[in-house]
Order: sequence, then structure tokens, then C-alpha cells
Amino acid sequence: MGDHALEVNNLSRHFGELIAVDGVSLHVEAGETYGLLGPNGAGKSTAISMIAGLLESHGGTIRIEGEPMTTRTTAVRSRLGLVPQDLAIYPDLTARENLRFFASLYGMGTKSAKARIDEVLEVIGLSDRADDRADEFSGGMKRRLNIGIGLLHHPRLLILDEPTVGVDPQSRNAILESVEHLASEGMSVLYTTHYMEEAERLCDRIGIIDHGRLMAEGTRRELVASLGNQDRVSITATGPLADAAEAFAALDGVAEATTSEDTITLLTGDATRVVARAVETADAHGLTVASVEITQPDLEAVFLHLTGRALRD
Amino acid sequence: MKLLSIVSVGLSRFVRDRFNLFFVFLFPLAIVLLIGIQYGEPPTLTVGVVSAGGEVSDEIIERLKDTDRVEIVLHTDPEEVADEIESGDLDAGVLLPDDLDDAAWEGRPSEVTFLSSPFGVGPQLRSVLDDALARTLAVPTAVGAATERGADPDSARAAAADAAWVLEVVDVETTTTGERIFPEDVTGFDVGASSQLVLFVFLTSLTGAASLIQSRKLGVVTRMLSTPTSLRTIIGGEALTRFFIAALQGVYIMGATVVLFGVNWGDLVATAAILVAFSAVGAAAAMLSGSVFSNDEQAAGIGVIAGLGLAALGGAMLPVELFSDTMLTIARFIPHYWAIDALADVVRRDAGLADVVPQLGILLAFAATIGAIAVWRLRVTLTR
Repeated sequence: MGDHALEVNNLSRHFGELIAVDGVSLHVEAGETYGLLGPNGAGKSTAISMIAGLLESHGGTIRIEGEPMTTRTTAVRSRLGLVPQDLAIYPDLTARENLRFFASLYGMGTKSAKARIDEVLEVIGLSDRADDRADEFSGGMKRRLNIGIGLLHHPRLLILDEPTVGVDPQSRNAILESVEHLASEGMSVLYTTHYMEEAERLCDRIGIIDHGRLMAEGTRRELVASLGNQDRVSITATGPLADAAEAFAALDGVAEATTSEDTITLLTGDATRVVARAVETADAHGLTVASVEITQPDLEAVFLHLTGRALRD
Repeated sequence: MKLLSIVSVGLSRFVRDRFNLFFVFLFPLAIVLLIGIQYGEPPTLTVGVVSAGGEVSDEIIERLKDTDRVEIVLHTDPEEVADEIESGDLDAGVLLPDDLDDAAWEGRPSEVTFLSSPFGVGPQLRSVLDDALARTLAVPTAVGAATERGADPDSARAAAADAAWVLEVVDVETTTTGERIFPEDVTGFDVGASSQLVLFVFLTSLTGAASLIQSRKLGVVTRMLSTPTSLRTIIGGEALTRFFIAALQGVYIMGATVVLFGVNWGDLVATAAILVAFSAVGAAAAMLSGSVFSNDEQAAGIGVIAGLGLAALGGAMLPVELFSDTMLTIARFIPHYWAIDALADVVRRDAGLADVVPQLGILLAFAATIGAIAVWRLRVTLTR
């Protein structure tokens, strides 16, 4: 066991026939930012709800700093800060009133809450709008207030469930900077997202989740390395793609060839060596090439490799 | 502390909603006023009188003035009186002839004209006029008759004056059989305020359920659960918020109707106990509504229908005394009935706290049953 900020073992949950989370195990080290990367419907929010003690699990255990977390445990929640995916604020209260309300629920005294609320307002950049009603805020400001509530009580573990969904680029950047700032201060963070670039930017380690299962985890470097340093060559063409697939797979240096409706994707150790012969092969099989795209491996490629589909599918 | 925070925020949000303010503070008083006027004191009748003056005429006018809820307006022109009756400004008119005094003392016939519209209550004033004429003219007529038969006028006047007391002790007493629905000292405002208190406490409670649904939909309740706050505290805070909203509505109606309409609420301890028990019923119903419905518009719409329907069935719109046996049986399954019954005992029959304990027990049983279902439902909703 030990003192991981978070330790999840074999966590499961189903809704009727649908298995939403299927034996997920992961841990977050103290001071680490862990990203749970997966497309919509992968099971991220369900897993988060169980980790935050909001949803009964159907199997597995959750420990926060060694303390078990279930829907019935209360005290351990003071170590946890949750920023849910959907805005969970009262729109008809001011930013300060929202923060004050949740500060009281975290058991903070009036005096300490007052000082902390001012600090949090500063962190989330809402000091000058503290006494305005939340329903007068822009979407980004509401998101920042949503995050601020999770920070109030100096949580040991901050859980952010897709905090940038539906946010403009400027606010999104501000939110990411806030998370970087918190991480730099030593806060443990569990961050779910379906944006690969957010996971790459923020997270020390990343778990890739799909259909409720944790497919792989590691640092970005480790995950990419697991692909065998493969480049990806995507040839968009018209013609009998399926007939040509075997010929592409047989090309020297091509590890794998997959076809979709109008694209053949080749995985190779060195794209520059393969691309010319790939175009020739296409030509030889009567394909009309519209475009050729070479991409270096990234988390998107890892996800594609692991699941056979893109993150945004 | 956490419980109070939840209550404080809930009340604050409720009070900030202008829609709620209208329905809590303005609408109930308007309804009480309307019902109070409808079932309130009989109207004052205005009678126009044309008189040339004189001892007999003045006495007739004084007697008319002494009649309850009759206002006398002196006129000089009989046609003006007729016009004002036609236009509805006057309910009736009395034209006293110029020679009324002389004719009365001399025992001559004289003609007093009574005018009224064929509609409304004007014709009922005829009996009032007849009474005033009979009592006033008895002495002069007796004196005139005696004088005509050779009696000394002064002696006849003195004798008649000595016997005039008989006219004042002879009176017609009207009695009714059976128990009055509303005692004489209970005004329409008293009755209207009691039933409207019950109606609006429940209706406002159900309307307040919308904010619980909003909190659920907004994810705030779920987020509250992510804090070190127990589900029991959260549900307790929400329930207490609904209770205070209901009680606030009741206290407001009581206070405002006392100040504005002089409503008598009877024994305040007993009335307060009824309000507390019925507010608990309202709060429980609000929690149930807040846990069952998935959107606040749906809850508000059905809440209004349910609130008005239960009020009608429970006797908050029509006195249960006018219910048929079947309706009365149905009413006994409605909490409103027991609240109204208890309030009727306190307001109309001077009952105290001990007298309404049975109704309080039934109301609290309603609150406990509905509340238990609501808490179970809310737990399931929040933790499934």
C-alpha cells in the first residue's frame, strides 16, 4: 500500500449490461500529475465519480493517502478537491458566495475561509469580479470558479474532470496554467481529458482508457516508445484500397498497414524510407493518391495503436 | 454549521428569486383580501332622504341613522334621489312630505314615499323604514286621536310621552336554529386567511422544490457530497430549507393579515404549533417533489396543480362544512383538511394547544411518511 496520493485497484462499475469501468488499476504519486486520457464515453467520468466517493463501485478498492474511499466515508474527502466536468456552481450567487458556501462545507472557519477565498480568487483571476453573480460570467470565468471551489481547502489530491470542455482558447490556456501552477506547488493532480495536447503538456504520467479499460500507462516517452518508435504514413487515395492493403503490408520496413474508407495508414520505423515506395505501390495497384501525410508518433498514435480508433472518434 | 450554511444559501437563493417574492409576499394577501371581501361583513346601504325638517321627520331620520349599516344622505330634490338610485349611487330613497309633522299631530293621513331599485338589497330597507315610521308616529298619532276625541292636547302629549317607553321595549328578536358555520365574531377575513395560509404554505413549499431540482441539475448537490459533508447533513439542510420557506410563508400571512385586516388567529401557541406541523408536511412534500421530478419546470407545473387540487379537496377553497359525505371522507386523507380543521378549532372555537393535539399528530404522521419516502428517493437519486 504505502502513501500514494491515490491508489485504485481493479475498479469496476456497470450500468445494467453496460460495463462502464472494467478493472481499472492506477496510482497517483504524491506531487504527481496523472492524466487519464480517453475519448468521450471511455469511462473517465464514471471512474472519477467512484474515486471521489460519489458513485458506488461494483468492485475494487480506492485509497486516498492510504485511507479507503467509498460512498459512505466522509472524513477522507477533506483531502480531496473535485472539479467536476459540468459546472457545479450556483449561478444566482456571487463568486465569493459560492466559495464561502463550499468553504463552510469543507469545515473551514469563517476567518480562515475569508483569507483563503481571497487567495483562491487571486489564483483563478476573479478577484475583481468576486462580488458579481456567476450567471453574469463568461463560460471561461465560470470554469475558473468551478476550479476555485476545488482548491479552497488546500486538497492533497485535486481531481479535474475535463475542465476545459467548451472553453475558449484563452480561458483554456489560463486553466492549464493554473493547473501547472498548482502542480508546481506539489499538489497531486488527477486530470482527465480527451485532448491529447493537454495530457502531453500537463501530465507526468498518462493512463489511456477506452471502453472502461486502462489500456496502457506510463510517461509520454514510455507510451510512445511502446509503439517501437513508429512513424505513421497516411495515404489518402481513391481506388481499390482493400486490394492493395496486402502489398502495402509487404513493403520492406512497414510494420503494419491498415485501411479505412479512403486512407491507408502504414506504421514504420522510418517514414522517409517508405513513402516513395508506398506511392509507387499505390500507383501499381491503380490507386489515385490524393495526399500523403507523415506523422511522428504521439499519444494520438498510441491511442490509435491501442484501440484502433482516433481519440475524437 | 454545515447544516446552517445549506439552509442559509437555500433561503438566500429563494428570496432572491423575484418570481418567488411575488407568489410569497403579494399574491397570498391579494387572495386573502379578495376572499375577505367576498365573505366579509355585509355592505353599508346608502339611503337618500328628502325632508323639510320638523320634530317627527327628524326623529324618523335619526331612527334610520341608528340602523346598522345604513348611511343616510340628505337631499333636497326627489328627482335627484330617483336618479341616484337608478345610477346605483343610492340603494334606496325616502321622501318625507312637508306636512308630515302637522298631519301626524293632527291625526291626518299623510304619505311617505319609499323608492328603490327592483334589484339588489334596496327593497329590504322597506321594513327598516316601516319600523322607524311606526315607532316615531305612534306618539303623535295617539295624541292626535285623543285630541280629536276632546282630550286636552297638553295632557294627551304628556300621557303619550309617559307611555312611549313601551315602543322601545317591544322588539322582534331573530333567532336561527342549528350551529352557525362561522360564529358571529368570525369575519370573512378570519376564515379566508386560515384557508389561504394552508393553501399557500403548501403551494410555496412545492414551488420551492424547484430550487432543489436546480441544485441537483446543476450538480451542486453532488459536489456537496464530494466535500466532507454527510449525505444526512445535506438532506437535512435541504429539508430544513424547505421547512423554513413554508414556515416563512405562514408567518408572513399571519403577520400581514393581522396588521392589514385585523384577522384573529386565536391562541398563538396553538396556531404556531399547527403552522409548524403543516410546514413539516409542506417541506416533506417539497423534498419528495424535488427528488422525483427531473426538471424544475415540470415540478413547478405539477406542483401548482397538486397544490391547488389538494387545497380544494382538503377544504382550503370551500369550507368543509359544505362538503358532501363522500367529499368529506376523501378530505380526511388530505393533510390540508387536518390543518384547516385545527385552525378552525383555534380561530372559531377558541381551542388551545391541547385541543388540537389529535390534528397535530395526524399532520406530523403525514410529514414523517412523506418525508421518509422523499429521503429514500433522494438518497437513491444522489448515490446510484
